[in-house]
This record gives sequence, structure tokens and C-alpha cells, in this order.
Amino acid sequence: MKELDPLLHSQLRLAVMSILMNVDEADFVYLKEKTEATAGNLSVQLDKLSSAGYITIEKGFVGKKTRTACRVTDLGREAFENYVAALRTYLNL
Amino acid sequence: MVYNINWFTFAVFEQILPVFILQILKKMTDKIPSPEESMSIISSMIQQTKHRVAPADIRVSVMWGIITIVTAIMVTILLLTMRDPVYNYGWFAIPVIGIPLNILIVRRSRTEKKVRTPIDRMSDRIWKIVGYTGLTLTAICVIFTLCDYKQAWLAMFYYAFIVVGLGASAQGAILQENSYIVGGVISVITGFCLIMATLIGVPLLVYWVMPLYIACFLLMFIVPAFIICRKYRKGMA
Repeated sequence: MKELDPLLHSQLRLAVMSILMNVDEADFVYLKEKTEATAGNLSVQLDKLSSAGYITIEKGFVGKKTRTACRVTDLGREAFENYVAALRTYLNL
Repeated sequence: MVYNINWFTFAVFEQILPVFILQILKKMTDKIPSPEESMSIISSMIQQTKHRVAPADIRVSVMWGIITIVTAIMVTILLLTMRDPVYNYGWFAIPVIGIPLNILIVRRSRTEKKVRTPIDRMSDRIWKIVGYTGLTLTAICVIFTLCDYKQAWLAMFYYAFIVVGLGASAQGAILQENSYIVGGVISVITGFCLIMATLIGVPLLVYWVMPLYIACFLLMFIVPAFIICRKYRKGMA
């Protein structure tokens, strides 16, 4: 049986990756709203995903406001697909 | 008094702070889900990010629709009352007003939007293709006018019916909104009928072509916008 990617096998990181797999780009506020996570927790998990190369984080300005945009990378996409495939074997789907 | 301070210090540092820190740490620690939980997280997030067409998503196309219709009405009235073809220059109001407004709306929506979906990307591309084609055709028509072939501007009429109609249909296909598709197809067919009319020598007269033009733009942009807004209010979009 395939091993589940430990980086994705966590509630919040998995939720973030699931969202990013469905959109081109999502900002920090959107991810916080959808996952209902605290800003600190989300920030830590985003950093972990970014360090692994699963997502890219782009910090910029829109007008006077700061904006943190997150995008899933090809590596992240592949890891997520592998994770779902492994999950299917665990659940016998 | 000393006892009181000690009690306060004890209360803050020994009782309240550890609980507070523990709460923060508890939030910072991410839970490991079971495979079943993982699957439900994935499906619930997919459900949450499912794109709903909001009125804000169609602001740009509605703006272009309104400007085009208002300009067409003004030009029609001027042409029919003044009977001077110079009023055809009124058509330039569409890009002159539309382009700056487009830039403004796009800028505003960038600050408002927290997420960009593949639907946004595809819609942007479609309208960019339609827009840049229009601008290029306008430049070509200007060159023809400079060479004294003013009738070349008729091509812009066909463009408005056919190319914009195709754009509206494609938008409808992406948004899964049939009213856009119907409006777009009606406009494309009307455009081809006008080409046929021109080829067989039927004169395109202001009093019947312009209402047709206005009706097509109403069907392509304004009617679908009303339908989308109504669906959005009902939570169906």
C-alpha cells in the first residue's frame, strides 16, 4: 500500500491544497475564510507547503493593501494527485 | 499588599498565561486526519470553491453592452433626424468611453476578488481576443478611410454581430449560461444574414438595421445579465 504524503496528510494543509487545486490563484484572506483557520496557523502551514515546493506564495500590493496570493505548483499538483491515488487504495475505492 | 501582588503574578503567569499559550499551541498544531476524513476534507473544499457566477463577474460585459446600446440609440436618432453621415463618428464613443471604464472596472475587481478561477482566466482571454480584434479592425478601417474607402466601416458592423456574438456564446458556454449562448447565436446568424443582404444588393438602411443591432446587444449582454442576477439572488447561479 502506498504511503500517504505526510506533508499533505494534515487537515489544514490538505484543505489548502484542495482549494488551490480548484482555482488558479487564491489569496490569504480567501483561504482563511474557506478553511476557517486562524491566521497564524494558516501562515505556518502555507510556509510548510511553500518550502516543499508544493505552492508558490507571492506577496504584493493591490492599491494600498497587501495581498498574499497562493498558487499550486506542478510539483504540488503531482503530489496531490499521488495523495488522492494513495487515499483511494486505503479506502478501497 | 505583597500577598496581593504575588497572588496577581501567580494568577497571570502560572494560571492564565499557560492556558492562553496552550490554546494558541493547540490551534497551531495541525491534526492528522483519517483517510475517510481526508476524503471528506477534499470533497468539502471542492464544493466550497465551486464557482458561482456573481453579478461582479459580468460587470465588464454589461458595461460594454450598455455603452454600445446607448451609442447606437444616439447615432440612430442623429442619423434619422439630421440625415448627415458625419454623425457616424459617434461610434467612436464606444472605445473612447469603454476602454477607460474597462480599465477602471478590472482594477477595482482585482482588489475585490480574493480568488481567480479558470473560468475568470478563460473569460478574460475570450474578451481580450474579441477586443483586440475589434481594435485591429478599427485601425484597418481608418487606413481604408484615409485611402478614401469609407464604406470599409461596414466591416465593423459585421464584426459587432459575428465576432462579438461568438464571444458571447463562448462566455455562455464557459459560465454554463444558456441565455448568453442563445443571444450570441442569434447575433451571429443576424450578422451572416446582413452579409447575405449586402451580397444580394439589399441596402442596409438605418431604420431597420440599427434596431436589429440594438436588439442583438440586448439579447447578448443585458438579458443574460438580468437572468444571472435573478439566479444569483435566488442562489441558483
